[in-house]
This record gives sequence, structure tokens and C-alpha cells, in this order.
Amino acid sequence: MSYPGAVPTARSRAMVRETRHLLFTVTPGALWIFIFLVLPSAYLMGVAFMTNGPYGLPQMPLSLDSFERLAGVGFLGWSPGNLYTLLRSLWQTLVSTLLVVIIAYPVAYYITTCREKWRPILLLLVVVPSWTNQVIRAFGWMNLLAPGTPLSSLAESLGLVAPNMGLYPSNFAVTLGLIYNFLPFMVLPLYAAFEKLDTAQVQAAQDLYASPVRAFWHAVFPQTLPGLLAGTVLVAIPAFGMYVIPELLGGGKGMMLGNLVANQFAGSSNWPLGAAGAILMLIATFIGLFAMRRIGKRLGGGEEVVI
Amino acid sequence: MRKRTLARGLAGIWWVTLFFLYVPLFVIVLFSFNSANSTAVFENFSLVWYRRLFGNEQIIDAFGHSLVLAVSSSIVALVIGCLIGYGMYRHRHRKLGWLIVLIYLPIVLPDIVFGISEMAFFVQIHAWTGLLEPGLGTMIIAHVTFQIPFVALIVYSRFVGLDPTLFEAAKDLYASPVKRVVHFMVPTIKPALISAFFLSFTLSIDDFVISFFTAGPESATLPIYIWSAIKKGVTPEINAIATLMIGAVAIAAIFSMLFNRQGRR
Repeated sequence: MSYPGAVPTARSRAMVRETRHLLFTVTPGALWIFIFLVLPSAYLMGVAFMTNGPYGLPQMPLSLDSFERLAGVGFLGWSPGNLYTLLRSLWQTLVSTLLVVIIAYPVAYYITTCREKWRPILLLLVVVPSWTNQVIRAFGWMNLLAPGTPLSSLAESLGLVAPNMGLYPSNFAVTLGLIYNFLPFMVLPLYAAFEKLDTAQVQAAQDLYASPVRAFWHAVFPQTLPGLLAGTVLVAIPAFGMYVIPELLGGGKGMMLGNLVANQFAGSSNWPLGAAGAILMLIATFIGLFAMRRIGKRLGGGEEVVI
Repeated sequence: MRKRTLARGLAGIWWVTLFFLYVPLFVIVLFSFNSANSTAVFENFSLVWYRRLFGNEQIIDAFGHSLVLAVSSSIVALVIGCLIGYGMYRHRHRKLGWLIVLIYLPIVLPDIVFGISEMAFFVQIHAWTGLLEPGLGTMIIAHVTFQIPFVALIVYSRFVGLDPTLFEAAKDLYASPVKRVVHFMVPTIKPALISAFFLSFTLSIDDFVISFFTAGPESATLPIYIWSAIKKGVTPEINAIATLMIGAVAIAAIFSMLFNRQGRR
């Protein structure tokens, strides 16, 4: 209610002061993220719709070339290379997430069966390896799986891999690396779910002579679902965009979307194609987050899936 | 009987998983003391790679870059993030949805998209204006960007945990806002400030992907150096640096265990 010449009331002065306070505290950070992340992302999205010029730099006119290339359309007709990479990313994400879940369930449950004073230490033991740099962790697996190492020799003598090939680089090594990298992110939320588990339900199931499998499926599993969902978000989304592990452990045939994108900005330069790949990754991320939120809400119980 | 089999099975899975988690690290540590340049056969105990390591200027430089980057970005992020955290708390009754989206964006964005969009943007700005040449400067900018949200959220949750009447009391006790900040706010949120700083520092030291894409030719950090050494196939000293880094993590783990004990007493 202010018009020119009005005497500012105490209330409006307080409002002005509050707004100024809000601007003073929030602006620097909001502006920082806007300039150095929102604008760059917007720029990248624009690049995806431009044409690939000489030296791989984006050019006018606008086109959908890069999306067509991503789907395999090239100068020499249709080739499925990029599509394979996409499918491989999806497949690796799916398999590694599933295996992580299968390993993390018993591990998280085991920790809750231990004495209370040991639990934080056991959890710490699970988490500590992930504190080391991911490049170093992948390097550790390179050492273990390279041709000539005991593990590779064993696989060779069992006929699992061709002689002198070793277990790395391969898709198998990438899956292993992904599981290794993301296991703690599943164990932590599942552990939190198990710790809150209402054992009366399990007891009731057992009293009614439910088999262990049925008791687990009907009395335990639904209660751990929020933890499972949180874990899946924490594992599947970063796994889909993983760069380091496929680059070091996968070799040329183990490439994932992250590598396809990164390569377009380095060696085989094609910025628009890389940007289109990045958009795909963003879409996958937001679909994942959205789906998890929806499922999380339907589960109810006021359990927010923590991102 | 069945119960005992289950318990044994669980314990078995636990030990196998633990083995799986530590074997790659153990192999690195073991072969860093290998006299031969091999990761398959252990010949003799030797410290030759460590001696080489400390004579390698590139590695020392990379370590320096990592430290400078982590400390400076954490300080900037602490100041900016603190302001946002407090602003979010003080104005939590207003509609700040856009701010929440903005703050979560750096957290949910895949590393590779984050790194590449900044790289592309910086290159373009550099081509137009000559500013933002790739190097430590651009890396600090990128790191601050992903550190701000964590600082803001830690500080915000500390404020939420405080008794709101404290703020009224502080207002009555200290006349000026400056005094309020110095004598009331900073001391009360000190634990949050310390943990926010350490988290930022750790995130920065540990980051590879974002640093990799925003780095210049002269500003390689330790993880970037290790990466390029692995890529070039020059690996003898890598085991030694990696072992030192694993050692640092082990020390951090022991400290965190001790703090955990103390916290529960």
C-alpha cells in the first residue's frame, strides 16, 4: 500500500528490511549457481541443437543432426554403434543395481544382528573403501584383473575368457567396478530401514508357520522398501552417468554413455553430439528422480525418499 | 538349527563382502613395496617407488594444486553457503521453491554433465572475452559450485535445530547486527561450520570428473595426474601415491571411529 509521498509505516519498513536481508544472504550463492551452472547447462542444451562445424565446434544453423547421429544415422548410413552404447549403459546400470541389492540385503541385515556397540564400526568398514578416490579404486581392479594375474589365470583355465586376454578390459570388469563403487550407497539406507524394522510382524509370520521366504517377502521386504528406493536412486542414477569406471576397466567395447559424451569434447570432437548425449543423461536422471518420488509417495508412511 | 545356518550364512556373506571391498586396496598397498615393476608377481620388498615418488616434481606439484584448490574453494563456499543457509532459515516461511531447486541442482546433476557443461561454457566465454582461461581459477569456480549446496544444507539444518527464542534473546542482548553475528551466530553454529568446511574440503580433494574437465594444462591435481599416468601406462609410482592416499583415508577412518566413541559417551 505505498504510493508516492506516502509515509512509510513501521510494517512496510520491516518488510523492506526483511527483503533486503533475503537478497543480501541469498543472492551471492543463487547468482553463483545460476551463472556457473544454470547458464552453462542451458548453453550445453543449445549446443545440442546446433550443427557440428570444423574442429567439432558448434555452428549455426539449428538442426536435429546430433540427435539423429545419437540414434545411429551417420554419413555412411545407419550404424548401431551409438545405440549399442546407450543400451549397454542401461544394461550395466540394471545389472549392477540388481547385484548391489542382492549383496546389500544380507550385509545390511547382518550388521543389525550384531551387538549395538559394533554396528557403527561395521558400517564404517563398509564405507571406508569408498572414501578413497574412484580412480585409485578402479586402478586396484585393473591390477587384480589384468592378464597374468591369479584371477585372470583362473578364469582362463576355467575357459571363461580366451587365453592371454585377462578379465580386463571387459564388460565384466565394468560391472564389477560399478558394484564395488556403489555397494556402500545401498548398504547404508537398507541398514537404516532394517534398524527400524518392526520385528513383531516377523514374529507373527513365523508363529503362523510362514516359510522363511514368505516371512521375508511379506513381513520384512515391505518394511525395507523405502530404504531400497533411496538406495536405488543413489546407485542407479550415478551408475548410468558413470565415466571413470568404463573408461579404465571397459576398454573400447565397454564404453557407456558418459564416455560417449566425454569423447565428443576431447579426441573425436563433436560438441553437438556430446551435448545431445548429455541431454539424454539429464532426461534419464530426472525420470529416475521423478519415478522414485512417485513410488515413494505411494508407499506413504511419510517416508520421504532422500536424494 | 535352521536359525544357526542362517546366521552362519549371513556371517559368511559379510566376510566375503568385506574381502571384496578391501582386496583391491590391499593389492595396491602390497605392490607399492614391490621391487619389480609388475603387478602380477611380487619379487622383493623395496621402497624404491617411494623414493622415486618424492623425486618426481610433477607429483609434488599435483599435490600442491590439490591442496590449494581444496582450501581456497572450501573457504569461498563456506562464506557463500553460510549466507544462503542462514537466508533459507530466516525466510523459511516465504515461498523459496526456486531456491531449493537451484540448491539441489548441483547435487543431482550427473558429474559428467556438470563438468562438460562448465568446460564448454568456459571455453566459449574465453573465446569471446579472454577471461576464464582453463586452470586453477576455473577449477575453483567449479568446485565452489558443487560445494555451496552442501554448506548451505548443513548450516540450514543447524539453524533449524536451534531454539527460535535464542534469536530473540540475542537481539535483546546485542544491539548491532554485527555483534549478533560475531558473538551469537558464529559461536552457536561453529560445529556446523567446521563440518561444512571439512566436507567441502573432502569433496574437493576426492573429485576427479569435474576437475578433469575444468583443468588447464598446468593445473593437474593428484587424481588427474594418476589418471593420466594410468592412461599412458606409466604406472610404477602410482601404487606408491595411491598407498599414501589410502593411508590418509585410513587415518581419517580411525579418527572418525574415535569421535564416534566419544560422541556416544
